[in-house]
Amino acid sequence: MKSYLAVLRGSFMVGLVYRFGFLFSIAGNIIYMSITYFLWRSIYQNRETLRGLTFDQTYIYVALGSAVFILLKTYVDWQMSYEIREGTVATYLTKPIDLQFYELFMSLGFFLMSLGAITIPTILLLVFVFRIEIPLGLGLAIFPFSLILAYLLSFCFDYFIGLLCFYTESVWGLSITKEILVTVLSGALIPLPFFPDVIHKILLWLPFQAIYYTPLTMVAQPNLGWGTFLPMLAVQLFWVIALFTLTRLFYNQAIKVLRISGG
Amino acid sequence: MSLIHIKDLTKHFKILNRREGLSGAFRDLFSGNYRTVEAVAGVSFDIEAGEIVGYIGPNGAGKSTTIKMMTGILKPTGGMLQVNGLMPYDNRIRQAQIMGVVFGQRTQLWWDLPVIESFKILKEIYKVDQKMFDRHMDMFNELVGLKALYSQQVRTLSLGQRMLCDISASFLHNPQVVFLDEPTIGLDISIKAKIRSVIKELNREHNTTIILTTHDLGDVEALCQRIIIIDKGKILYDGDIKRVNALFGAYRTLKLQIDDFTAATLQTLTGKLTEKFGAEHGISIAETEELWTDVTIDQARTPLSDVLNFVMSNFGVDDVRIVEISMENVVRKVYDGALK
Amino acid sequence: MHSLKDYLRLYFIIETQYIKARMQYRADFIISSIGMFFSSLATLGIFWVILGSIPDLAGWSFMQLVFIYGFYMIAISPMQILFDHIWQIRFHVQQGTFLKYYFRPLNMMFYYMSEMFDIKGLTQLAAGIVILIYASIRLDLDWTLPRVALLLLTLFSASLVQISITVLAGCAAFWVLDAYPVLGLAWKLREFAPYPMNIFDGAFRFTFTFIIPLGFVAFYPSQLFLQPEDVSSLVYFSPLVGVGLFALTYWVWTKGVNSYTGTGS
Ligand SMILES: Nc1ncnc2c1ncn2[C@@H]1O[C@H](COP(=O)(O)OP(=O)(O)OP(=O)(O)O)[C@@H](O)[C@H]1O
Ligand SMILES: [Mg+2]
Repeated sequence: MKSYLAVLRGSFMVGLVYRFGFLFSIAGNIIYMSITYFLWRSIYQNRETLRGLTFDQTYIYVALGSAVFILLKTYVDWQMSYEIREGTVATYLTKPIDLQFYELFMSLGFFLMSLGAITIPTILLLVFVFRIEIPLGLGLAIFPFSLILAYLLSFCFDYFIGLLCFYTESVWGLSITKEILVTVLSGALIPLPFFPDVIHKILLWLPFQAIYYTPLTMVAQPNLGWGTFLPMLAVQLFWVIALFTLTRLFYNQAIKVLRISGG
Repeated sequence: MSLIHIKDLTKHFKILNRREGLSGAFRDLFSGNYRTVEAVAGVSFDIEAGEIVGYIGPNGAGKSTTIKMMTGILKPTGGMLQVNGLMPYDNRIRQAQIMGVVFGQRTQLWWDLPVIESFKILKEIYKVDQKMFDRHMDMFNELVGLKALYSQQVRTLSLGQRMLCDISASFLHNPQVVFLDEPTIGLDISIKAKIRSVIKELNREHNTTIILTTHDLGDVEALCQRIIIIDKGKILYDGDIKRVNALFGAYRTLKLQIDDFTAATLQTLTGKLTEKFGAEHGISIAETEELWTDVTIDQARTPLSDVLNFVMSNFGVDDVRIVEISMENVVRKVYDGALK
Repeated sequence: MHSLKDYLRLYFIIETQYIKARMQYRADFIISSIGMFFSSLATLGIFWVILGSIPDLAGWSFMQLVFIYGFYMIAISPMQILFDHIWQIRFHVQQGTFLKYYFRPLNMMFYYMSEMFDIKGLTQLAAGIVILIYASIRLDLDWTLPRVALLLLTLFSASLVQISITVLAGCAAFWVLDAYPVLGLAWKLREFAPYPMNIFDGAFRFTFTFIIPLGFVAFYPSQLFLQPEDVSSLVYFSPLVGVGLFALTYWVWTKGVNSYTGTGS
């Protein structure tokens, strides 16, 4: 455990060197959120609700969505493809360290970094400068837990793509495809109820929605009650466990490629 | 008018002082204090066409920085710098046509392309005519016999092969001056020897001026008539290699691992050597790392082989290494007034 | 030293070699093209979802948005295909490999960008053309020769705008260590270029018209074809915007290249 914590601290400090990047990311986030504000205002025009959601609910949903977007991007796929191409991944195999946990803790450093330097400042700005009222309620209290589960899920996806790089050597196509699928199908850009009903129902059965739709809904509609939230959390937990296990199994397959072709 | 004319050349860098540790990194987020590094602090020399000059000095001396200014990458902070009568920084494209550059381990060939294609593209870039191109390729092939590698991607070459190709490429357009920044770094003896002979041959063929930095004094010995020693941005010595040769050419260090080594062994060894070779033997002894005894020998006074034979027959020796004197030792000796 | 003809010839020679080399990684090429295809469809999907809930977006119908989107896809393709190497600039600058671009008697922007030719961008270009044609058939647009010429001119200018915005963002790498968020923001903002600019008010409309002129990548020029009777005079400036912006970008690039001091070695 101690060695993993050292990994975490290291990546955290690497992140800190990039001071300009943080200030710029916050500014970028604000711009992005303002744009979404205009977009959704013109979608709502004078309508009270659309698909059962008020403008405020939808806007909090998408604005928070863009604030946590940076958090949930782990870059593990890019990192791994780099390590595989440069051959450094082989050196991890010689250390008494588990690749999945190594990558997880590596990315956790950046997660904490962006949480402190980007997401929290952005949310503070949102609340105190832009005067967006985030409704209080049960959902808001559960949100942090849901966000952690969402992070682990997002990690599993990225790690899976990273493992695929053992076969393909290049990550661009895979990663961009994954990102598009995740952003669109998870409801990161548009709340799922806006999708046509059939598609909406199908999406609820897929793991993507547990990354964005679940935590964001908890903040946007915090008063849905335990009856709604508990099953949502359970579904998230289910996907985390399932994908964690599946990627571990897949690792054993993928690693053979390295052993055979010599990275 | 000399080909390269440098007078009081300086280059300063501004560097952010980073603070240590986690809290330091946090504080750096919001404030920075800068300090100035005088990488090149007033350097003057002239280089004539056709010379091979060794530009040497310890790490961080300012060699690469000087070369970056001569090649037009960096703008000098002060002083005068002309290559072929022009200031490189202000005439980059024009100057690039008459220069060749190799920068250490970073290749300038096209990473994903076969070697020969890189050469062909360079032929187009520098507008080298077919006849000259063929002649260069033939000559290069004669020198190192790399024809077999031509269809291989640059990325798949070994470091040494790539370096040979890079050096050859830098001569392709028959430049007036070629800058080689550490061309032999990280290579084994046989490739080093090959590179030296290629450089020598290419210089002879067209009377190309060559400026070479290296940490391997063997390179300098093999190639240069003149060396410039720089340290901390200032020139320590500029002149004929023969005088400096006396400093490092004659010295060798014999590293010994002696059986049953104790503190007394050093004294016994010193005593026995003095007994055998007399008081003026030019040998100094020190224990540098654990178990290793360094015997530095001035070969002008005592042949190394004699010392080695003597030690081997009088002591139980587990392991022996012979190393050339290091750059740092040369610089230290120059500072100590060895060339005065 | 080199004439325009020399440069074109050189570009052709380098790119044919480059494509040959890339083609060895066939799996990569296929996967990337699929990725490109999906990412092209994503925005269309979003339009489709949004306009499933409301009749029009700020006065624009779904098919009109599709037209703008097709225009946008074509306009961003030259950036993708010819200037893709800008994404690597951060690494080159940090690791000092950027030095090598100084050593050839070539225009540095040309030499730097020539090292990458993004074949999968051609998929995007093709998709854009198909989408544009499809939308203009559905919208019953009437294409005369002068209008086609106008389309080509505006597309040329729009692609210069896109190239300039991205390359400018990439140039940040010359001055700051962590320029990635700048490029990232430019990339993210780009996604809004196919949206109607009239959803914005005041400051933002001003910004996207005059400061980060995303509006000129697709929306303003498309108006010339979607509502030719009713365009603001601004739209007629769009060819100038592209050229002017690119000149500015080139100036900044040159500044950056001249101020870069390289990593010590
Ligand atoms: N881009 C830069 N920014 C800040 N300082 C620099 C930069 N480049 C070089 N330096 C500093 O200038 C000094 C001289 O560096 P230079 O690279 O010229 O040394 P060198 O003689 O080539 O050393 P080596 O033998 O290790 O290659 C060093 O102290 C170095 O830290
Ligand atoms: Mg150096």
